[in-house]
Amino acid sequence: MLTIGTKKGVFVAEAPKSRRSFALRGPFGPGVPVYSTLIDTRGTPRLYASSCNPFFGMKVLRSTDMGKSFKETKAAPAFPKEDGRALINIWSLEPGSEPKDLWCGVEPASLFRSLDGGDSWEMVPGISNHEHARKWNPGNGGLCMHTIIRDGNRMHLGISTGGHYLSEDGGRTFRAANTGVGAGFQPDPYPEFGQCVHKIVRHDAAPGRLYMQNHGGWAEWTGPGGPRPDIGVLRSDDHGKSWRSIAKGLPTDFGFPIVVHPHDPDTVYVLPLEPMTRTCPGGAPAVWRSENGGDSWKRLAHGLPKKQSYFTILRDAMTIDVLKTPALYFGTTTGQLWIGREGGEQFDCLFEALPPIHNVKVAVV
Amino acid sequence: MRAGAEVTIYLPEPLRTYAGGIVELPIRAAAIRDMLGRLEQTQPLLHRNVCDETGAVRRHLNIFVNADNIRDRDGLDTALKRGDVVTIVPAVSGG
Repeated sequence: MLTIGTKKGVFVAEAPKSRRSFALRGPFGPGVPVYSTLIDTRGTPRLYASSCNPFFGMKVLRSTDMGKSFKETKAAPAFPKEDGRALINIWSLEPGSEPKDLWCGVEPASLFRSLDGGDSWEMVPGISNHEHARKWNPGNGGLCMHTIIRDGNRMHLGISTGGHYLSEDGGRTFRAANTGVGAGFQPDPYPEFGQCVHKIVRHDAAPGRLYMQNHGGWAEWTGPGGPRPDIGVLRSDDHGKSWRSIAKGLPTDFGFPIVVHPHDPDTVYVLPLEPMTRTCPGGAPAVWRSENGGDSWKRLAHGLPKKQSYFTILRDAMTIDVLKTPALYFGTTTGQLWIGREGGEQFDCLFEALPPIHNVKVAVV
Repeated sequence: MRAGAEVTIYLPEPLRTYAGGIVELPIRAAAIRDMLGRLEQTQPLLHRNVCDETGAVRRHLNIFVNADNIRDRDGLDTALKRGDVVTIVPAVSGG
């Protein structure tokens, strides 16, 4: 099952395990942008989608019938009245440890938690009221908390532009953990915080290891602080406390999504984009795969257009399923949804003309 | 009996679901700010769709008193008189 968050609502696509063809339904929450979705497979599957209504505010949609219908939950995250901030967008929805436990990252960058499946929400003060929080700045997409990764008592957050924040006490307190994470848009190349992190992933089988797609594209920078080559694709082996570049061999270190193979923590995928235009280099889209933790990269483009394709793939618009031979999926800002069969060896376009795609999630249900 | 003029709020279709499906909501209020405060107390779901957490009217909504946008009158302090129709309209925007 796929959930596809688009500029005009959320779509659901289903296929048998062969994944030969997918049946599409939707849009649900029609006409309203959806930036995050979640297929919650704990117990009876529930689907969630953020419905980011520019007129009437943020909603969380929930489906309890496998995506045949969606209803608004009783409440969406909201800042306390005295806080002074107002919710602009919902960027991430992740399952927690309890059956109806949900975490939600929002814009302006803050974290919320629900213990009742999204019907009520509490702001998490350890990061939302962090001493850095009022110093973060919005990136082009807004000041968003887009990544929430839970690892036992650890929690990793990705904020654009705030950087990577680490909690080691279950989300009670957080600290900036950006050693080695470069920033190209300010004179200090390695600030304590304020990096434009695009996405972070981890794998259960490689404790302590994380991969990050950061805002790269600063190799030619000649201003204060000098050039910052290869700051865009990074790896940590100490739970995110320090990071090193693994961008060597890629055509550009700029991109938005990063995905790790479900069965092999050494296999990681990125989708490089030209840093100035944020489109496919040379108009020829390609996924790049490393099978050795980022030491080398291979271009995967069989079945993808060879020219004249200048779309963008956003941070949550690429994912991978967990079947024995996994398939990659990515959605484009021009509304195409692609499947990369055999781990990305062969690409086919599943849907050619959806609305601009923000988000793709997949689960086996 | 509450102070203020008896007015009617006309709700566009997307907002009706948050007010029990009604199209027109009668309310007593002396000014728009007062009206929104009463909505917060009596129709919290509807209010949440019109105002954000800080109490500000959502950026892409316009409020009219009869034919006048409150922006062209006294904003939230625009006074209401008996029989006025207050219309809440999504701005013409998007793509």
